Amino acid sequence: MSEAALALDIRDLRAGYDSYDVLHGMSLHVANGERIGLFGPNGHGKTTLLNAISKVIRPNGGSVSFMGEPIAAVSARGIVERGLIHVPQANRLFPDMEIMETLELAAFTRRARAERKTNLDYVLKLFPRLAERRRQQCKTLSGGERQMLSIGVGLMCAPRMLMLDEPTLGLSPKLKEELAAAIAGIGTRGMPMLIVEQDIAFVLSLVDRMYFVDHGEIAREIHRGSDVDHQEIMDMYFGERAAS
Amino acid sequence: MTLDALSTVLVSGIVLASVYALIASGLSLVWTTLGIFNFAHGALMTLAAYLAWTVSDAAGLGLWLGAGIAIAVAGVVAAGVLIERLIVRPFYDHRDILLITVMTTLAAMIFIEKGSQLIWGARLKQLRPVVPGQVNFLGTTISAQEALIIALAPLLLGLLFLFLRNSRIGRGIRAVGQNPNAAKLIGIDVSRLFIITFALSAALAGLTGILLGSVRMVTPAFGAEPLVKALIIVIFGGLGSLGGTIVAAYLLGLLEAFLIFFIGIYWAPSMIFVLLILILLVRPQGLLGKVVR
Ligand SMILES: Nc1ncnc2c1ncn2[C@@H]1O[C@H](COP(=O)(O)OP(=O)(O)OP(=O)(O)O)[C@@H](O)[C@H]1O
Ligand SMILES: [Mg+2]
Repeated sequence: MSEAALALDIRDLRAGYDSYDVLHGMSLHVANGERIGLFGPNGHGKTTLLNAISKVIRPNGGSVSFMGEPIAAVSARGIVERGLIHVPQANRLFPDMEIMETLELAAFTRRARAERKTNLDYVLKLFPRLAERRRQQCKTLSGGERQMLSIGVGLMCAPRMLMLDEPTLGLSPKLKEELAAAIAGIGTRGMPMLIVEQDIAFVLSLVDRMYFVDHGEIAREIHRGSDVDHQEIMDMYFGERAAS
Repeated sequence: MTLDALSTVLVSGIVLASVYALIASGLSLVWTTLGIFNFAHGALMTLAAYLAWTVSDAAGLGLWLGAGIAIAVAGVVAAGVLIERLIVRPFYDHRDILLITVMTTLAAMIFIEKGSQLIWGARLKQLRPVVPGQVNFLGTTISAQEALIIALAPLLLGLLFLFLRNSRIGRGIRAVGQNPNAAKLIGIDVSRLFIITFALSAALAGLTGILLGSVRMVTPAFGAEPLVKALIIVIFGGLGSLGGTIVAAYLLGLLEAFLIFFIGIYWAPSMIFVLLILILLVRPQGLLGKVVR
């Protein structure tokens, strides 16, 4: 596979908080147009990985390239300008801002501003509920609406690749399905995606490949349609407990 | 209370209120965006008044007042940016940034006060008014300068509101104040917007200093009392609400004028505190404040 065929290529990434590392040399890649799932127990570094890529935190080592270009030393703003967009876990967004204001603001970089109108139309079509509530403040949104707005904000940034951190956290099965359909819709446009998700059934339906994150490392790579079945994944999850 | 007296008190209250609104809104803007209090805010007012005086007064360079104003505003904007870069920015990631910057900005305040005393001396100075003469307002004669203050305050604050509501940078500033990480993730350069916020706030302080510098006497401690009032107003108006700050500024200005009229200048300041504390007991979050920042 040539370099440029990879949307995201991460090698030996180390990152953490204060003085301790959470990621101990993580390597993974996302090909162009590929949708990747990332799952693993709570607190094992999935969010930390996304934070280190988007520069919410500064990585302590390793290399990251996006569309063939090294970005480990690029600022948070530079990452967004290049179109690598991180939709964070449980984002409470901007509490006092209205939905429309938030979406318009999200087209902040020059490139995103140029695509603002198209992207706004797309977001409002994808999530009609946001269009119905355009003057409502973020802080009064329901959990589901907030997730939709959060993804909508990501789309307004003119993404070339999306990283979604637990987009269905705490949502009802019905809402989950709705969001899954929306995310699948985004994927059909050929957008590479990295989706962190605890709900394995949910993520399996969305992705081409999955990584299992364990103690800050990639412990396993699972190809869609490979012989790994549901039970085996469950064992991975609860492996420690099952063994004891 | 006669109608004449009422009008006099009301008008002096509005002048005070306008000054308070201008000075407190700058303080409030920095609080809502960065979550810190800039205790050097009043000193920036002083610095601007002295700079304008130096450029435009006959005892200084004797240039046109407009030049004095321009240089003074540019000067305090530079000072505001320096404060942000040198003594606020290094502590952004610190857990106790609020307390640390109380200390560092207090230090800046003292530094500017003492520096002013060294450069300009303790003797009282007064700026030329931007507009000379007197006008009649609500049946009371006031200086045209005071009328200018009354007119400019809502104008400048209105512009500030429009900027924050509708412009890209203004919305960015609000976003950074409400959720810096989410702002970062849409490509906002948080640190750049912090500088712009400080610059704006300093410009407001500077303009207030210049406007007030021909109504009151300028001394090295010229900005100290307005700073204390502005702090009270920001807290009373509700932390995190610029609208609340402005409402509180007008309430406090009027209240102060009436208290001075009824109980005299000696007890009025203490009574204001008593009243504010009573109100905060009933509404701990302030007039229009949120429960959390
Ligand atoms: N801001 C922070 N400061 C210090 N430690 C943190 C911070 N954020 C996360 N951690 C720690 O880093 C480790 C990894 O957390 P991370 O959020 O990456 O886990 P996660 O895999 O996303 O978990 P979850 O599935 O619960 O979201 C945890 O031990 C967590 O306590
Ligand atoms: Mg997480």
